[in-house]
Amino acid sequence: MSSTAASEHGHPAVAWPPDAQYGSATPGKIGMWIFLLSDAFSFGALLIAEGILYAGHKPWRQPGEPELGIGFTAVLTFILLCTSLTNVLAWAAAAGGRRKQAAQLLAITALGGAVFLVGQFQEWFGIWAPGLLHEGLVFGQSPRASTFFVITGYHGLHVLIGVAYILAILVGYVRGRVTERQIELLGLYWCFVDFVWVFVFSFVYLLPSLSGA
Amino acid sequence: MTDPEIGRARASSVGHVPAARERAPYLVAFAVLVALTLVEIGVVKSGGIPHRAAVVALIAIATAKAALIALFYMHLRYETRILKLTVLAPLVAPAVYGLLLMLDAAWRHMR
Repeated sequence: MSSTAASEHGHPAVAWPPDAQYGSATPGKIGMWIFLLSDAFSFGALLIAEGILYAGHKPWRQPGEPELGIGFTAVLTFILLCTSLTNVLAWAAAAGGRRKQAAQLLAITALGGAVFLVGQFQEWFGIWAPGLLHEGLVFGQSPRASTFFVITGYHGLHVLIGVAYILAILVGYVRGRVTERQIELLGLYWCFVDFVWVFVFSFVYLLPSLSGA
Repeated sequence: MTDPEIGRARASSVGHVPAARERAPYLVAFAVLVALTLVEIGVVKSGGIPHRAAVVALIAIATAKAALIALFYMHLRYETRILKLTVLAPLVAPAVYGLLLMLDAAWRHMR
């Protein structure tokens, strides 16, 4: 509660000591973790649904459907890993008072996220090469196609929101309205996007490919 | 703790932990994550690994990668035990449920 708001209610501002259970974690951080936990359940439900459908449909890859490009997606995975690193380094720079470096690293993180989205657009629709849609992986025509587009699309939506979130924090940071604390909360969200992608990459791309899908 | 100290501790969260501001652990975690990703690709592309062993390896590697991200990049290693439990305990149920489904699918496949 701000001192202004507190004085309006007729009592002085109360210092909020580190909590016995949650230490120095701010309420904002605890809230972000709970939000991410709920988001993890959404992804968990989607991946479990994919697993149930996968177990009941043999062959998983229908005739005429293309293979998923594991090599290309591995590059996207590498880009996402790089952005998690630049993001946490941006926070470390901000915590160490290196403002210019923090801003640069945040900008690189946003750029990496945008590159990931371009890569996903290429994978779906095609830009410099035919996309999966043109190659015969059509939403609604098989459980494999539907789960692929729903899960990677839901993750892509998180990346898109994350890029907008990074840019908003970057602008606020350059203008001096954002502290390292907000950058750390942003980092929780952005690294969660990478955290989830680890499982999406494994369960959507790698594990089905072991059976030739 | 004085009020300004409390304010700083709250405002910086793990920012007051010197180890959290060092770059080396983040770079090491990144190198391990990239190496594990390469191992994942190797498991899939090699073709010489028995199917079940490959499945177990891929799930184990994915879990290890996720743990690295959560502990290092999301700073969970610097948080209190209660916060770690708040985050991790609810994830146990869907993880066990997913594992049981996979075991069920493998059992049906054997019949």
